[in-house]
Amino acid sequence: MIYSVMLEGAKSMGAGAATIASTGAAIGIGNVFSSSIHSVARNPSLAKQLFCYAILGFALTEAIALFALMMVFLISFVFRF
Amino acid sequence: MLLTLSLVLLLLHFVTKKGGGNSVPNVWQSLVELIYDFMLNLVNEQIGGLSGNVKQKFFPCILVTFTFLLFRNLQGMIPYSFTVTSHFLITLGLLFSIFIGITIVGFQRNGLHFLSFSLPTTVPLPLAPFLVLLELIPHCFRALRSGIRLFANMMAGHSSVKILSGFTWTMLCMNDLLYFIGDLGPLFIVLALTGLELGVAILQAYVFTILICIYLNDAINLHQNSFLFIIERKRGIYA
Repeated sequence: MIYSVMLEGAKSMGAGAATIASTGAAIGIGNVFSSSIHSVARNPSLAKQLFCYAILGFALTEAIALFALMMVFLISFVFRF
Repeated sequence: MLLTLSLVLLLLHFVTKKGGGNSVPNVWQSLVELIYDFMLNLVNEQIGGLSGNVKQKFFPCILVTFTFLLFRNLQGMIPYSFTVTSHFLITLGLLFSIFIGITIVGFQRNGLHFLSFSLPTTVPLPLAPFLVLLELIPHCFRALRSGIRLFANMMAGHSSVKILSGFTWTMLCMNDLLYFIGDLGPLFIVLALTGLELGVAILQAYVFTILICIYLNDAINLHQNSFLFIIERKRGIYA
């Protein structure tokens, strides 16, 4: 019984530590949109096309943050004790 | 899933009856035309470098993928409804089928040259087999990554809304004035998250489809730029 209590605590710790990975994703998304703003400022006539690229880059980068979130859910709920 | 199928078919049927709709479109016809036109531009732009016939062969598959994903994602936003794409098996199943299809198309169109897709042009010959073998691994991971991206976006959005709305409901039920006023915070966060999820639903369908178009482009024109192809054709005319 003590083993399962410790395991629950360990699971929570693992899940909390796994959410640190979203810092990388946050930096990446900021980078994507910063480049998008720079490029629109250089050439405003291409704004629509550049916006499409920005949204594509955002979605791809957000996926990495969601991989980390998925690992959190995997650690919290899937591994049986 | 049956609900999505029936909704989409009903929409298309009511728009295109009487031999093709009106010339001045009403709202539903505009919606269908918007999706159709969007996909047409997407396919034309992405799978470039070849004549029109080849591109249009892949258009129905991509249109159907986009429409169904869009409607399935949006269907999950209805309260008490069932989000089909937030289940791992469904997005992975869809994606593996499409990816096996793209590989078969690549092999059928280019023969064994399809393996030269993995090789950059200026690579010394003894290094070549290792590079090809190493390139196969990221090639398989692309398929997995797109499916997981779609699944994780849908699941994460719904889970966040569920957790926060549980929080909101608990605060509402405590019989205390302070909690009742403080309930406005989580309520607005749930509102904002629902709005974000609507955007994400449409966006993820679009990203999925555009990535499939890019993979298809890579499989058909192995690293060839469509720009170079146009220049070559022009030089063929004048020189």
